[in-house]
Amino acid sequence: MDDVNEWRSYAASAAPADRARAEAGVRLAYRLAGLPEPARILWARSPLEGVRTVAGLTDAGASVREAVRTRPWAAERRRLHEELGPEGWPARWSATGGRLWELTQSLVDRIREGVLEEIGRKESARARLILLDAMLGQHDAPWLAAFAADRERVDGDSGSADADGRSVLSGGLESPASGGGTGRSAPGDGSEPSASGAGVGRGVRGGAPEFPASGSGAGRGLSPGLPKSAESADPTDGAGRGLPHSGPGYPAPADGAGHGLSDGGPGSQAALPAHPLAGLAEVCRSAGWWWAFEEVAVVCERPVELHRDEAGRLDRGDGPALAFADGFALCAWRGMPVPPGFLDELRTLVPQRIQAEENAELRRVMLEFYGYERYLTDSGAKPVHRDETGVLWRIEMGIDEPVVMVEVTNSTPEPDGSRNVYWLRVPPRTRTAREGVAWTFGLDASAYAPLQET
Amino acid sequence: MYRQGDVLIVSVAEEAVPEHVERAPREPRDGRGRLVLALGEVTGHAHAVVGPGELVREPGPFGPMLLHVPRGGRVVHEEHGTIVLPAGWYRVIRQREYVPGSVRIVAD
Repeated sequence: MDDVNEWRSYAASAAPADRARAEAGVRLAYRLAGLPEPARILWARSPLEGVRTVAGLTDAGASVREAVRTRPWAAERRRLHEELGPEGWPARWSATGGRLWELTQSLVDRIREGVLEEIGRKESARARLILLDAMLGQHDAPWLAAFAADRERVDGDSGSADADGRSVLSGGLESPASGGGTGRSAPGDGSEPSASGAGVGRGVRGGAPEFPASGSGAGRGLSPGLPKSAESADPTDGAGRGLPHSGPGYPAPADGAGHGLSDGGPGSQAALPAHPLAGLAEVCRSAGWWWAFEEVAVVCERPVELHRDEAGRLDRGDGPALAFADGFALCAWRGMPVPPGFLDELRTLVPQRIQAEENAELRRVMLEFYGYERYLTDSGAKPVHRDETGVLWRIEMGIDEPVVMVEVTNSTPEPDGSRNVYWLRVPPRTRTAREGVAWTFGLDASAYAPLQET
Repeated sequence: MYRQGDVLIVSVAEEAVPEHVERAPREPRDGRGRLVLALGEVTGHAHAVVGPGELVREPGPFGPMLLHVPRGGRVVHEEHGTIVLPAGWYRVIRQREYVPGSVRIVAD
């Protein structure tokens, strides 16, 4: 598994949390922020229960999210901006976190919406604030993938670092005491951050994000984008190149105390300082969303069910596509949220019911679930056009726009010799099968002429 | 022009390849050393090129990806027949589907 796929697997994990590892990660994150470890770590079965738990805390102290996540996160991003430059950073993002971002963020948004729906309007203002204060654990994977991609770069520099092949963000999890007080290393090779120093706020190219969540409705904290105040508090000032594990370039925790941490990998004896995001990365690997307060941390379990289609969208026709142990669940069909009761109805669909559905999106789900082919057969539809690329069908939907589809046969036979037939919806103006298939690839009908299809 | 499931691979004349592509970052290979054109999130099945070559994300009209196989290459997938590509440049297009008000990619 390559590095990005490793982070991808954390984001999509529905395995029970590794609580010991997650708690160790939480404690490490506090220590790396220069804070005392939380006195208590509470577990919630879902983000919904997590929000309710946080809402009920009375002696948790102030939120320490700024110190635990925002500040080190900003520092690391700034360091990478400066080091990689205006073209290098978008390239890094594109090759790493950008590959995970959209799907992960849409899941995060959907969970957030689901929590707010469950909490109800009366309490939603408070819940919204709590959600904004959450750290995303497994769903922080896209950013951690981008931050972690230094491994190749540092391999030649850092000797023992990554000798065990673990990700660059794997910090040790032993207590500071066991680390032997390695503490802060000298500031690397003395190189200063690049003179441009303008990485923060710099424009982006090719779709790589400076603040990928901007405009998506994500607010402070839920967005990887960070408030300017956090940027200005960048603790990496003066640090040289970052060398994960090996110390140079990574500043000591804010209190300057020794936080030398064993690498923790098999066979590793050297006591090495942890990457500044090592605690956050450990939680990402082992648990779901979490909250950090002075006295208490609240950590969520991962889901118990996660059903997605090949495009990575939430997708299940016979139950929740995402479910947590406390019953908090989200239903969706090919990414589209649907009410739970709606799924029960899908099993007893008849064409008349589909036609009668007033909500166009739910009607589309009904049609897809029922099956285009079956619907066309049941409704006695006749093909509109047929050629060597496939068959074009059209279903009139009353006042709504018609459903126009191309029926395409897979060129590669199944093991039993049969060939899969699938249906692709195309714009209603489509007049021929070739035009429809060509449209699915963004081409004009005249330009679509494959030499070979498999 | 070649098609493997939901991926279309369209030949591009070398002189038509935008100049900036030469300087553009190359997509990393996956853990199996392949250039992944499209990845199935659930099965992990991939349309992938094995052998020498380069893959570049290209936001312009020759995008969304440009594939260069200077010595030719093979496009493999767990559920589709292999396609043998002659040497050259190719535009890689992922199939999409119409959804009223938007489009969505096809889950092969």
